[in-house]
Amino acid sequence: MKTIFKNKKISSIVSVVPKEEYRFDDEYPGFKLTPDKAKRFKKMMSLDRHRIAPPEVCSSDLCLFGLQHLLNEGALKREEIGALVFVSQTPDYFMPATSNVIHGKLGLGHDVICLDINQGCAGFLLGLMQAFLLLEIAAIRKVVLLNGDTCSKQMDKCNRVSYPLTGDAGSVTVIERCEAENPIYTAVKNDGSRHKAIMIPAGAFRTPSTPETLKLHEVEEGVVQNLEHIHMDGAAIFSFTMEDVPPQIDEILSFSGDTRESVEHFLFHQPNPFILRQMAEKMKIPQEKLPNNIVSLFGNCSSVTIPLNIAFNCREQLVKGSSRVCLSGFGVGLTWISMVLDLGPLEVCKIVEL
Amino acid sequence: MNTLEFCQRLADILDIVEVKPENVLGEFEQWDSLAVLSVLAMVDSKYRVTIRANEIRSVVTVGDLAKLVEAKLGEAKQKQ
Repeated sequence: MKTIFKNKKISSIVSVVPKEEYRFDDEYPGFKLTPDKAKRFKKMMSLDRHRIAPPEVCSSDLCLFGLQHLLNEGALKREEIGALVFVSQTPDYFMPATSNVIHGKLGLGHDVICLDINQGCAGFLLGLMQAFLLLEIAAIRKVVLLNGDTCSKQMDKCNRVSYPLTGDAGSVTVIERCEAENPIYTAVKNDGSRHKAIMIPAGAFRTPSTPETLKLHEVEEGVVQNLEHIHMDGAAIFSFTMEDVPPQIDEILSFSGDTRESVEHFLFHQPNPFILRQMAEKMKIPQEKLPNNIVSLFGNCSSVTIPLNIAFNCREQLVKGSSRVCLSGFGVGLTWISMVLDLGPLEVCKIVEL
Repeated sequence: MNTLEFCQRLADILDIVEVKPENVLGEFEQWDSLAVLSVLAMVDSKYRVTIRANEIRSVVTVGDLAKLVEAKLGEAKQKQ
Protein backbone atom coordinates (compact mmCIF):
# COMPACT_ATOMS: atom_id res chain seq x y z
CA MET A 1 0.00 0.00 0.00
CA LYS A 2 1.35 3.44 -0.87
CA THR A 3 0.30 6.95 0.04
CA ILE A 4 1.58 10.51 0.29
CA PHE A 5 1.06 12.62 3.41
CA LYS A 6 1.06 16.36 2.78
CA ASN A 7 1.44 19.54 4.84
CA LYS A 8 2.88 17.70 7.83
CA LYS A 9 6.29 18.01 9.37
CA ILE A 10 8.41 16.58 12.17
CA SER A 11 9.59 19.52 14.26
CA SER A 12 11.56 17.93 17.12
CA ILE A 13 13.08 14.61 18.12
CA VAL A 14 14.47 13.79 21.56
CA SER A 15 15.82 10.31 22.24
CA VAL A 16 16.27 9.11 25.80
CA VAL A 17 18.65 6.38 26.91
CA PRO A 18 19.29 5.02 30.40
CA LYS A 19 22.57 6.21 31.83
CA GLU A 20 23.41 2.60 32.78
CA GLU A 21 25.82 1.33 30.12
CA TYR A 22 27.24 -2.19 30.01
CA ARG A 23 30.07 -3.48 27.83
CA PHE A 24 30.10 -6.83 26.07
CA ASP A 25 33.66 -7.48 27.25
CA ASP A 26 32.44 -7.35 30.86
CA GLU A 27 29.23 -9.27 30.31
CA TYR A 28 30.19 -12.24 28.13
CA PRO A 29 31.31 -14.57 30.94
CA GLY A 30 27.66 -14.59 32.03
CA PHE A 31 26.59 -15.88 28.61
CA LYS A 32 28.34 -19.27 28.80
CA LEU A 33 30.61 -18.20 25.93
CA THR A 34 34.19 -19.35 25.70
CA PRO A 35 36.60 -16.45 25.03
CA ASP A 36 36.96 -17.71 21.44
CA LYS A 37 33.23 -17.90 20.76
CA ALA A 38 32.75 -14.53 22.46
CA LYS A 39 35.41 -13.01 20.21
CA ARG A 40 33.75 -14.49 17.09
CA PHE A 41 30.28 -13.30 18.15
CA LYS A 42 31.57 -9.85 19.09
CA LYS A 43 33.27 -9.48 15.71
CA MET A 44 30.34 -10.80 13.66
CA MET A 45 27.79 -8.54 15.34
CA SER A 46 30.17 -5.61 16.01
CA LEU A 47 29.15 -5.67 19.66
CA ASP A 48 30.52 -3.14 22.06
CA ARG A 49 28.04 -1.81 24.60
CA HIS A 50 24.37 -1.31 25.32
CA ARG A 51 22.10 0.66 27.64
CA ILE A 52 19.88 -1.26 30.03
CA ALA A 53 17.24 0.39 32.21
CA PRO A 54 17.18 -0.54 35.89
CA PRO A 55 14.20 -2.67 37.04
CA GLU A 56 12.13 0.28 38.27
CA VAL A 57 12.41 2.25 35.00
CA CYS A 58 9.67 1.60 32.41
CA SER A 59 9.42 2.68 28.76
CA SER A 60 6.99 5.41 29.83
CA ASP A 61 9.56 6.84 32.26
CA LEU A 62 12.09 7.22 29.46
CA CYS A 63 9.49 8.88 27.22
CA LEU A 64 8.17 11.15 29.98
CA PHE A 65 11.71 12.33 30.75
CA GLY A 66 12.18 13.29 27.10
CA LEU A 67 8.83 15.05 27.00
CA GLN A 68 9.57 17.03 30.17
CA HIS A 69 12.89 18.01 28.64
CA LEU A 70 11.12 19.49 25.60
CA LEU A 71 8.64 21.33 27.84
CA ASN A 72 11.44 22.72 30.01
CA GLU A 73 13.38 23.87 26.94
CA GLY A 74 10.31 25.78 25.77
CA ALA A 75 10.23 23.85 22.50
CA LEU A 76 6.75 22.58 23.31
CA LYS A 77 3.90 23.92 25.44
CA ARG A 78 1.41 21.75 27.30
CA GLU A 79 -1.57 23.48 25.71
CA GLU A 80 -0.26 22.68 22.21
CA ILE A 81 -0.48 18.92 22.75
CA GLY A 82 -3.64 17.65 21.05
CA ALA A 83 -2.74 13.98 21.00
CA LEU A 84 -0.39 11.57 22.74
CA VAL A 85 0.51 8.46 20.77
CA PHE A 86 2.51 5.88 22.75
CA VAL A 87 4.09 3.08 20.72
CA SER A 88 5.49 0.20 22.72
CA GLN A 89 5.51 -3.52 23.30
CA THR A 90 6.46 -3.00 26.95
CA PRO A 91 3.59 -0.91 28.33
CA ASP A 92 3.26 -0.02 32.01
CA TYR A 93 -0.02 -1.94 32.35
CA PHE A 94 -2.45 -4.04 30.32
CA MET A 95 -5.01 -1.48 31.42
CA PRO A 96 -5.24 1.50 31.16
CA ALA A 97 -3.29 2.57 28.07
CA THR A 98 0.11 4.00 29.01
CA SER A 99 -0.65 7.19 27.04
CA ASN A 100 -3.47 7.79 29.55
CA VAL A 101 -1.04 7.33 32.44
CA ILE A 102 1.40 9.79 30.83
CA HIS A 103 -1.47 12.24 30.21
CA GLY A 104 -2.24 12.14 33.94
CA LYS A 105 1.40 12.61 34.98
CA LEU A 106 1.68 15.66 32.72
CA GLY A 107 -1.52 17.20 33.98
CA LEU A 108 -2.79 17.88 30.46
CA GLY A 109 -6.25 19.25 29.72
CA HIS A 110 -9.16 16.97 28.86
CA ASP A 111 -9.30 17.83 25.15
CA VAL A 112 -6.52 15.43 24.26
CA ILE A 113 -6.59 12.13 22.37
CA CYS A 114 -4.63 9.31 24.03
CA LEU A 115 -3.71 6.29 21.96
CA ASP A 116 -1.42 3.30 22.52
CA ILE A 117 -0.07 1.32 19.58
CA ASN A 118 1.38 -2.17 20.01
CA GLN A 119 4.26 -2.24 17.54
CA GLY A 120 8.01 -2.70 17.59
CA CYS A 121 10.51 -2.40 14.76
CA ALA A 122 8.15 -0.56 12.37
CA GLY A 123 6.66 1.35 15.30
CA PHE A 124 8.25 4.74 14.69
CA LEU A 125 6.89 4.87 11.16
CA LEU A 126 3.48 3.48 12.13
CA GLY A 127 3.38 6.09 14.89
CA LEU A 128 4.24 8.84 12.40
CA MET A 129 1.44 7.65 10.11
CA GLN A 130 -0.99 7.79 13.02
CA ALA A 131 0.23 11.29 13.91
CA PHE A 132 -0.25 12.51 10.34
CA LEU A 133 -3.79 11.14 10.32
CA LEU A 134 -4.62 12.74 13.68
CA LEU A 135 -3.45 16.11 12.37
CA GLU A 136 -6.45 16.06 10.02
CA ILE A 137 -8.38 17.07 13.15
CA ALA A 138 -8.23 20.88 13.14
CA ALA A 139 -8.45 21.07 16.92
CA ILE A 140 -5.15 19.15 17.23
CA ARG A 141 -2.24 21.58 16.95
CA LYS A 142 0.58 19.16 17.67
CA VAL A 143 0.87 15.42 18.12
CA VAL A 144 3.44 14.01 20.49
CA LEU A 145 4.64 10.59 19.38
CA LEU A 146 6.26 8.60 22.16
CA ASN A 147 8.18 5.46 21.28
CA GLY A 148 9.59 3.39 24.11
CA ASP A 149 10.68 -0.14 24.84
CA THR A 150 12.50 -1.98 27.62
CA CYS A 151 12.94 -5.27 25.76
CA SER A 152 15.76 -6.25 28.11
CA LYS A 153 13.01 -7.16 30.57
CA GLN A 154 11.54 -9.62 28.02
CA MET A 155 14.52 -11.96 28.00
CA ASP A 156 16.88 -13.78 30.31
CA LYS A 157 20.09 -11.88 31.10
CA CYS A 158 22.03 -15.04 30.24
CA ASN A 159 20.55 -15.43 26.77
CA ARG A 160 23.66 -14.99 24.64
CA VAL A 161 21.92 -14.38 21.33
CA SER A 162 19.34 -11.84 22.54
CA TYR A 163 20.63 -9.96 25.55
CA PRO A 164 23.91 -8.53 24.22
CA LEU A 165 22.12 -7.08 21.18
CA THR A 166 19.27 -5.49 23.10
CA GLY A 167 18.98 -2.00 24.46
CA ASP A 168 16.33 0.05 26.26
CA ALA A 169 15.36 3.54 25.10
CA GLY A 170 12.57 6.03 24.55
CA SER A 171 11.93 8.88 22.16
CA VAL A 172 9.66 11.87 21.82
CA THR A 173 8.78 13.26 18.39
CA VAL A 174 6.71 16.37 17.85
CA ILE A 175 4.67 16.43 14.65
CA GLU A 176 2.58 19.32 13.34
CA ARG A 177 0.99 20.77 10.23
CA CYS A 178 2.95 23.07 7.93
CA GLU A 179 2.18 25.47 5.10
CA ALA A 180 4.58 23.82 2.67
CA GLU A 181 3.31 20.71 0.92
CA ASN A 182 6.35 18.71 2.09
CA PRO A 183 5.16 15.38 0.64
CA ILE A 184 5.98 12.31 2.74
CA TYR A 185 5.94 9.22 0.51
CA THR A 186 4.95 6.12 2.44
CA ALA A 187 4.76 2.39 1.69
CA VAL A 188 3.29 -0.15 4.11
CA LYS A 189 3.12 -3.93 4.08
CA ASN A 190 2.02 -6.58 6.54
CA ASP A 191 2.26 -10.36 6.62
CA GLY A 192 0.58 -11.86 9.66
CA SER A 193 1.10 -15.41 8.35
CA ARG A 194 4.70 -15.08 9.57
CA HIS A 195 3.80 -13.58 12.94
CA LYS A 196 5.52 -16.39 14.84
CA ALA A 197 8.95 -15.23 13.63
CA ILE A 198 9.13 -12.66 16.45
CA MET A 199 6.88 -13.50 19.33
CA ILE A 200 6.29 -13.76 23.06
CA PRO A 201 4.25 -16.99 23.12
CA ALA A 202 2.70 -16.77 26.61
CA GLY A 203 1.69 -14.30 29.29
CA ALA A 204 -1.29 -12.63 27.64
CA PHE A 205 -4.65 -14.26 27.02
CA ARG A 206 -4.05 -16.89 24.32
CA THR A 207 -1.65 -18.76 26.64
CA PRO A 208 -1.96 -17.21 30.10
CA SER A 209 0.90 -17.01 32.55
CA THR A 210 1.44 -20.09 34.74
CA PRO A 211 4.41 -21.50 36.66
CA GLU A 212 5.02 -23.67 33.53
CA THR A 213 5.30 -20.69 31.19
CA LEU A 214 7.94 -19.19 33.48
CA LYS A 215 10.19 -22.27 33.44
CA LEU A 216 13.52 -21.64 31.70
CA HIS A 217 14.61 -23.94 28.85
CA GLU A 218 18.00 -24.07 27.17
CA VAL A 219 17.12 -24.26 23.47
CA GLU A 220 20.76 -24.39 22.43
CA GLU A 221 23.97 -23.82 24.40
CA GLY A 222 23.75 -20.49 26.22
CA VAL A 223 20.30 -19.70 24.81
CA VAL A 224 18.01 -19.73 27.82
CA GLN A 225 14.40 -18.62 27.60
CA ASN A 226 10.91 -19.19 28.94
CA LEU A 227 7.58 -18.84 27.14
CA GLU A 228 7.13 -15.25 28.37
CA HIS A 229 10.37 -14.16 26.71
CA ILE A 230 10.89 -12.92 23.16
CA HIS A 231 11.37 -15.81 20.74
CA MET A 232 13.08 -14.94 17.46
CA ASP A 233 13.48 -17.21 14.45
CA GLY A 234 16.79 -15.68 13.33
CA ALA A 235 16.90 -17.45 9.99
CA ALA A 236 13.30 -16.51 9.11
CA ILE A 237 13.93 -12.87 10.05
CA PHE A 238 17.15 -12.80 8.04
CA SER A 239 15.32 -14.14 4.98
CA PHE A 240 12.55 -11.57 5.50
CA THR A 241 14.91 -8.60 5.72
CA MET A 242 16.86 -9.73 2.66
CA GLU A 243 13.86 -10.66 0.50
CA ASP A 244 10.99 -8.35 1.42
CA VAL A 245 12.55 -5.08 2.49
CA PRO A 246 14.73 -4.33 -0.60
CA PRO A 247 11.74 -4.45 -2.98
CA GLN A 248 9.91 -1.98 -0.75
CA ILE A 249 12.89 0.38 -0.87
CA ASP A 250 12.86 0.14 -4.68
CA GLU A 251 9.13 0.77 -4.61
CA ILE A 252 9.34 3.86 -2.40
CA LEU A 253 12.25 5.39 -4.35
CA SER A 254 10.37 4.90 -7.59
CA PHE A 255 7.21 6.35 -6.04
CA SER A 256 8.94 9.48 -4.77
CA GLY A 257 11.03 9.88 -7.91
CA ASP A 258 14.25 9.44 -5.96
CA THR A 259 17.39 7.42 -6.56
CA ARG A 260 20.14 6.03 -4.35
CA GLU A 261 22.02 9.24 -5.23
CA SER A 262 19.26 11.74 -4.45
CA VAL A 263 18.60 10.28 -1.01
CA GLU A 264 21.26 11.48 1.37
CA HIS A 265 20.69 9.15 4.30
CA PHE A 266 19.04 5.74 4.59
CA LEU A 267 18.02 5.71 8.25
CA PHE A 268 16.85 2.20 8.93
CA HIS A 269 15.68 0.27 11.96
CA GLN A 270 18.75 -1.33 13.56
CA PRO A 271 18.39 -5.05 14.26
CA ASN A 272 22.18 -5.54 14.17
CA PRO A 273 25.10 -4.30 12.03
CA PHE A 274 25.52 -7.67 10.32
CA ILE A 275 22.06 -7.65 8.69
CA LEU A 276 22.32 -3.94 7.82
CA ARG A 277 25.65 -4.40 6.02
CA GLN A 278 24.18 -7.32 4.06
CA MET A 279 21.11 -5.26 3.16
CA ALA A 280 23.14 -2.25 2.03
CA GLU A 281 25.29 -4.50 -0.15
CA LYS A 282 22.28 -6.23 -1.65
CA MET A 283 20.47 -2.96 -2.34
CA LYS A 284 23.65 -1.38 -3.74
CA ILE A 285 23.45 1.46 -1.22
CA PRO A 286 26.89 2.79 -0.19
CA GLN A 287 27.61 1.64 3.39
CA GLU A 288 28.29 5.21 4.53
CA LYS A 289 24.74 6.22 3.55
CA LEU A 290 23.18 3.48 5.67
CA PRO A 291 24.36 3.89 9.28
CA ASN A 292 24.58 0.63 11.21
CA ASN A 293 26.18 1.83 14.44
CA ILE A 294 23.25 2.07 16.85
CA VAL A 295 23.32 -1.54 18.11
CA SER A 296 27.06 -1.35 18.85
CA LEU A 297 26.58 1.74 21.02
CA PHE A 298 23.10 1.41 22.48
CA GLY A 299 21.62 -1.96 21.52
CA ASN A 300 18.56 -2.78 19.44
CA CYS A 301 15.85 -0.73 21.15
CA SER A 302 12.89 -1.74 19.00
CA SER A 303 10.95 1.21 17.50
CA VAL A 304 13.35 3.72 19.07
CA THR A 305 16.28 2.69 16.86
CA ILE A 306 15.13 5.01 14.06
CA PRO A 307 14.77 8.24 16.12
CA LEU A 308 18.00 7.31 17.94
CA ASN A 309 19.68 6.72 14.56
CA ILE A 310 18.48 10.16 13.39
CA ALA A 311 19.53 11.95 16.60
CA PHE A 312 22.93 10.25 16.81
CA ASN A 313 24.00 10.29 13.17
CA CYS A 314 22.34 13.37 11.68
CA ARG A 315 21.89 15.82 14.53
CA GLU A 316 24.22 18.56 13.34
CA GLN A 317 22.87 18.58 9.84
CA LEU A 318 19.20 18.49 10.82
CA VAL A 319 19.26 21.34 13.31
CA LYS A 320 20.73 23.62 10.63
CA GLY A 321 18.86 22.51 7.53
CA SER A 322 17.00 19.70 5.87
CA SER A 323 18.02 16.41 4.33
CA ARG A 324 16.38 13.98 1.90
CA VAL A 325 16.06 10.77 3.86
CA CYS A 326 14.64 7.29 3.46
CA LEU A 327 13.36 5.76 6.69
CA SER A 328 12.54 2.07 6.98
CA GLY A 329 11.25 -0.02 9.88
CA PHE A 330 10.82 -3.78 9.52
CA GLY A 331 10.23 -6.67 11.88
CA VAL A 332 7.61 -7.87 14.33
CA GLY A 333 4.22 -8.49 12.70
CA LEU A 334 5.71 -9.06 10.24
CA THR A 335 5.35 -5.42 9.29
CA TRP A 336 7.51 -3.29 7.03
CA ILE A 337 7.07 0.43 6.40
CA SER A 338 9.26 2.83 4.47
CA MET A 339 9.14 6.58 3.90
CA VAL A 340 10.98 9.12 1.80
CA LEU A 341 10.82 12.73 2.96
CA ASP A 342 12.70 15.95 3.50
CA LEU A 343 13.53 15.90 7.20
CA GLY A 344 14.49 19.06 9.07
CA PRO A 345 15.34 21.66 10.04
CA LEU A 346 14.46 20.41 13.52
CA GLU A 347 13.96 22.76 16.44
CA VAL A 348 15.37 20.16 18.82
CA CYS A 349 17.30 17.02 17.88
CA LYS A 350 19.22 15.39 20.70
CA ILE A 351 19.88 12.43 22.95
CA VAL A 352 19.45 12.76 26.70
CA GLU A 353 20.20 10.32 29.52
CA LEU A 354 17.93 9.26 32.34
CA MET B 1 29.11 -24.67 -8.74
CA ASN B 2 32.59 -25.41 -7.46
CA THR B 3 32.08 -27.76 -4.49
CA LEU B 4 35.65 -27.34 -3.28
CA GLU B 5 35.22 -23.56 -3.15
CA PHE B 6 31.88 -23.97 -1.36
CA CYS B 7 33.47 -26.24 1.24
CA GLN B 8 36.27 -23.72 1.77
CA ARG B 9 33.77 -20.88 2.29
CA LEU B 10 31.93 -23.01 4.83
CA ALA B 11 35.23 -23.84 6.57
CA ASP B 12 35.95 -20.09 6.84
CA ILE B 13 32.58 -19.49 8.48
CA LEU B 14 33.13 -22.33 10.95
CA ASP B 15 36.69 -21.15 11.58
CA ILE B 16 38.20 -24.61 10.87
CA VAL B 17 40.83 -25.81 8.41
CA GLU B 18 38.81 -28.15 6.21
CA VAL B 19 35.25 -29.20 5.57
CA LYS B 20 34.25 -32.28 3.55
CA PRO B 21 30.94 -33.06 1.80
CA GLU B 22 30.33 -36.07 4.04
CA ASN B 23 30.65 -34.05 7.29
CA VAL B 24 27.41 -33.76 9.26
CA LEU B 25 26.68 -30.06 9.90
CA GLY B 26 25.19 -30.61 13.34
CA GLU B 27 28.40 -32.29 14.49
CA PHE B 28 30.54 -29.19 14.07
CA GLU B 29 31.15 -27.52 17.42
CA GLN B 30 30.57 -24.12 15.84
CA TRP B 31 27.29 -25.05 14.11
CA ASP B 32 24.90 -22.75 16.01
CA SER B 33 22.28 -20.15 15.13
CA LEU B 34 25.03 -17.66 14.29
CA ALA B 35 26.71 -20.08 11.89
CA VAL B 36 23.34 -20.57 10.18
CA LEU B 37 23.00 -16.80 9.70
CA SER B 38 26.52 -16.57 8.31
CA VAL B 39 25.75 -19.34 5.83
CA LEU B 40 22.53 -17.65 4.69
CA ALA B 41 24.47 -14.42 4.23
CA MET B 42 27.32 -16.13 2.35
CA VAL B 43 24.96 -17.95 0.01
CA ASP B 44 23.06 -14.73 -0.70
CA SER B 45 26.20 -12.71 -1.26
CA LYS B 46 28.40 -15.20 -3.17
CA TYR B 47 25.79 -17.22 -5.06
CA ARG B 48 22.93 -14.70 -5.17
CA VAL B 49 20.33 -17.26 -4.11
CA THR B 50 18.09 -17.31 -1.04
CA ILE B 51 17.81 -20.26 1.30
CA ARG B 52 14.81 -20.33 3.60
CA ALA B 53 14.91 -21.05 7.33
CA ASN B 54 13.08 -24.39 6.99
CA GLU B 55 15.31 -25.48 4.08
CA ILE B 56 18.54 -25.01 5.99
CA ARG B 57 17.10 -26.87 8.96
CA SER B 58 16.34 -29.90 6.75
CA VAL B 59 19.88 -30.46 5.40
CA VAL B 60 22.14 -32.92 7.22
CA THR B 61 25.57 -32.95 5.58
CA VAL B 62 27.79 -30.37 3.93
CA GLY B 63 27.12 -32.18 0.66
CA ASP B 64 23.34 -31.79 1.17
CA LEU B 65 23.83 -28.06 1.67
CA ALA B 66 25.97 -27.79 -1.47
CA LYS B 67 23.30 -29.66 -3.45
CA LEU B 68 20.63 -27.30 -2.11
CA VAL B 69 22.59 -24.28 -3.31
CA GLU B 70 23.20 -25.95 -6.66
CA ALA B 71 19.50 -26.65 -7.05
CA LYS B 72 18.70 -23.01 -6.30
CA LEU B 73 21.26 -21.88 -8.88
CA GLY B 74 19.60 -24.17 -11.41
CA GLU B 75 16.17 -22.71 -10.64
CA ALA B 76 17.53 -19.19 -11.01
CA LYS B 77 19.03 -20.03 -14.41
CA GLN B 78 15.73 -21.46 -15.64
CA LYS B 79 13.92 -18.26 -14.73
CA GLN B 80 16.28 -16.19 -16.88
